[in-house]
Amino acid sequence: MKKYITVFFLVFGIHLTASANEINVYVWSEYIPDSIVEKFTEETGIKVNLSTYDNNESLYAKVKLLHNSNSGYDLVMPSTYFVSKMRDEGLLMELDKSKIDNFKNIDESLINKPFDPENKYSIPYFWGSTALCYNAKYVKEKVDSFNILFDPKYAHKILLTDDVREVFHVALKLLGYSGNDTNEEHIKQAYEKLKTLVPNVKIFNSASPKLNYINEEVIIGLNHNGEAYVASVENPDIKYAYPKEGVILWVDSFVIPSNAKNTEGVYKFVNFLLRPEIAKEISQAVGFATANKAAKALLPKEILNNPTIYPPKDVQDKGEFQEDVGDAIVIYEKYWEMLKLNN
Amino acid sequence: MMNKDLFKHFTILTIVAWLTVFVLIPNIGVVVTSFLEREEAHFVSFTFTLDNYKKLLSVMYIKVFLKSLAIALYVTILCLVFSYPFVYTISQTIKSIIIKDFLLILVIIPFWTSSLIRTYAMMIVLRSNGLLNNFLMYVGLIDEPIELLYNWVAVTIGLVYSLLPFMILPLYTAFEKLDRNYINAAQDLGAGKIDTLLKIIIPLTKSGIAAGCILVFLSTLGMFFIPELLGGSKEILVGNLIKNQFLIARDWPFGTAIGTVLTVIVVILMVIYARNTKNTDQLVV
Amino acid sequence: MSRLIRLYPIFIYIFLYFPIIVLIVYSFNSSKYGTSWQGLTLEWYRKLYSNSLLIGSTKNSFLVAALSASIATLIGTISALGLYSYRFKGRKIFSSIVYVLAISPDIIMGISLLILFNLISINLGFYSLLLAHITLNLPFVIIIVISRLKTFNKNLINAARDLGAGEWTIFTRIILPLILPSVISGWLLAFTLSLDDVVISFFVTGPNFEVLPLTLFSMAHLGIKSEINALCTVIFAVTLVLIFISHFIFRRKI
Repeated sequence: MKKYITVFFLVFGIHLTASANEINVYVWSEYIPDSIVEKFTEETGIKVNLSTYDNNESLYAKVKLLHNSNSGYDLVMPSTYFVSKMRDEGLLMELDKSKIDNFKNIDESLINKPFDPENKYSIPYFWGSTALCYNAKYVKEKVDSFNILFDPKYAHKILLTDDVREVFHVALKLLGYSGNDTNEEHIKQAYEKLKTLVPNVKIFNSASPKLNYINEEVIIGLNHNGEAYVASVENPDIKYAYPKEGVILWVDSFVIPSNAKNTEGVYKFVNFLLRPEIAKEISQAVGFATANKAAKALLPKEILNNPTIYPPKDVQDKGEFQEDVGDAIVIYEKYWEMLKLNN
Repeated sequence: MMNKDLFKHFTILTIVAWLTVFVLIPNIGVVVTSFLEREEAHFVSFTFTLDNYKKLLSVMYIKVFLKSLAIALYVTILCLVFSYPFVYTISQTIKSIIIKDFLLILVIIPFWTSSLIRTYAMMIVLRSNGLLNNFLMYVGLIDEPIELLYNWVAVTIGLVYSLLPFMILPLYTAFEKLDRNYINAAQDLGAGKIDTLLKIIIPLTKSGIAAGCILVFLSTLGMFFIPELLGGSKEILVGNLIKNQFLIARDWPFGTAIGTVLTVIVVILMVIYARNTKNTDQLVV
Repeated sequence: MSRLIRLYPIFIYIFLYFPIIVLIVYSFNSSKYGTSWQGLTLEWYRKLYSNSLLIGSTKNSFLVAALSASIATLIGTISALGLYSYRFKGRKIFSSIVYVLAISPDIIMGISLLILFNLISINLGFYSLLLAHITLNLPFVIIIVISRLKTFNKNLINAARDLGAGEWTIFTRIILPLILPSVISGWLLAFTLSLDDVVISFFVTGPNFEVLPLTLFSMAHLGIKSEINALCTVIFAVTLVLIFISHFIFRRKI
């Protein structure tokens, strides 16, 4: 009996002393390479507890759940519209810019956007698009419209990202509406259109769609541009195309939840990630466009000129940044669930 | 005498206290939450409502329940059909205890291996350019890879694969308890192999069959990660539905309502099971 | 006909082991996404070794598994004794709860504990996970120990009592040695259950305590990658070792 108790307290004790200097980071899967995390820990001695998610809704739910806890996340990375939502609900901590020297490295065109005026709460990390991805070995025709997804010959070989807003964007744009539409009637019409598409979808995946394309499990569908870029490196047949209806654009930013404990550590980590060489290394590894202009200056020509990573101006103009739709999200979610369940 | 009473009270108190705090109270919490309303800020607001259950009565959700129960039933029957001859052969035809022991360990190894790992292994085999498809094409049975992954067939195969040992082990226990004398007597009296099987062996192994079936059936209902991985996030069963309510939709009251219905189904099945077995100790694997 | 029947188990064994063997073989495949055989390599194992996220998760999992198994074995053995030896009000109810718990889908336990922890404001993290896993393991330990107790000859205990032995002596000198193999088996099963648990961990662990099955689950979600194959092979090897140990202990008893 005594032996049990002593062992228990020994192990218990070891654990208590172990949690000294660390930060809890929750980001998109594949966004921060392990090598970068290791470099940071080597330099500063701060341990990074990295966990990942694959859609904004899960991120939001988890942060909400941990909001009143005293062991929540120190750093998370929501997309555009979730920054304003989380800010409005008091889930975020105002940033102390004096602690973030490298903020000056951020591209001005991405600062001071409507979803966070003056960037009081967020710092852009990556921006990118979600558009059409296909395997040229099997798809011989020109790919330039979302309509191609509805072509019966591709049935059961399609991948869609597991994201309610992105999937609805496809239908809304084809109907001539905005991807940020809040009109219930329009959303319902989009739902009706998607009802014809969803049964032909083979996989819903937002975590790492590139693997499904590389493994040739699907030959056409949606994809994030970074994923498509990495896939094309592995298999040059995999290509990325912008639809004429207008692509989905998003920005993912750093935010600090209001109950973050190790703020010193977090600021160090953010500054580290904003260093030009580090941001450049990450951008090259994951294939997304960096918001860091100093890093961009260091990127090799082939990356800068790659339309998958850096879309040409006309594509950007026609594209739409995702915005918060407020209470309409409940309508979207209702139809999304109906789409998924009526299988 | 003091010593004895103290000991007695200590042991009883331990189990009662732990179960009350970590089982009874949480489950009461689940049932209570299912009657509350959803709220943005704190997940639930203390207003009584039957809306969650009304929502469950819609066709959409009833379909999910029926589908889950149907798949659970398929999986259970498949496991039984595959396991029974297996256990029969090993238990009845192999005489050497050492070999029997070894064969049993070969079943226990997958049983103890994480079902997540086994499901992932199944993914590798079933995918489009995976081994199974390549083999079938090589042999000439098919021209193009068939979609073995990301549909309910894959989910069923994956569930059977994970749960087969759960059916084999109780059956094995029941078979080992079989008194050979019954079988010998039947054969002496002229019964053929099939008659012996149907009229003697199956009835005598009833307890193992029941135990295996209930283990497999109930396990199927809760393992959401298998439909998620093998179904490509398309196959929504009861477990996935509950998980989504808590994780994505943030509708705890609705999630607990589904959970409560699931618990009720479990309890009903357990009661039927208990009534039909001599004593509940037969549950022991 | 009976010849054919005898071959049948082989098919089942092939079914059970084929995917695992494929997994192990592919973990040595130098192709990153495992699409075709490209030669032998240990690269993935090297990568695993230097992946700090994975090493961290693994340490966490082992810590929780060892602790929860030990505590559950302690509480479970005591509880099994209580349930077996004494008749008390509510004995039937609590016994049934134990059996129902062992069989119920884990997801019910997951959401009920999430609600409990939210209610009494316990932060999600190491402690919530530990408590949850002890609750998960408890019924199995109890069932294993009780079934061993049932094979007891009560006369042994009566004789000891007649000879004047106190409760504690009876427990430590007679009961404990005889149930020891079951207690250890219970510990091993609890350890494995905790190590493999996906569903309950999913609901009750927190951001600063990531466990291996969850890391593996998010990795598997990404798709098939050779690094994951290596990780799975390692875990499988550990399981084999545990089974070997457990069997060795049981052997001694027989």
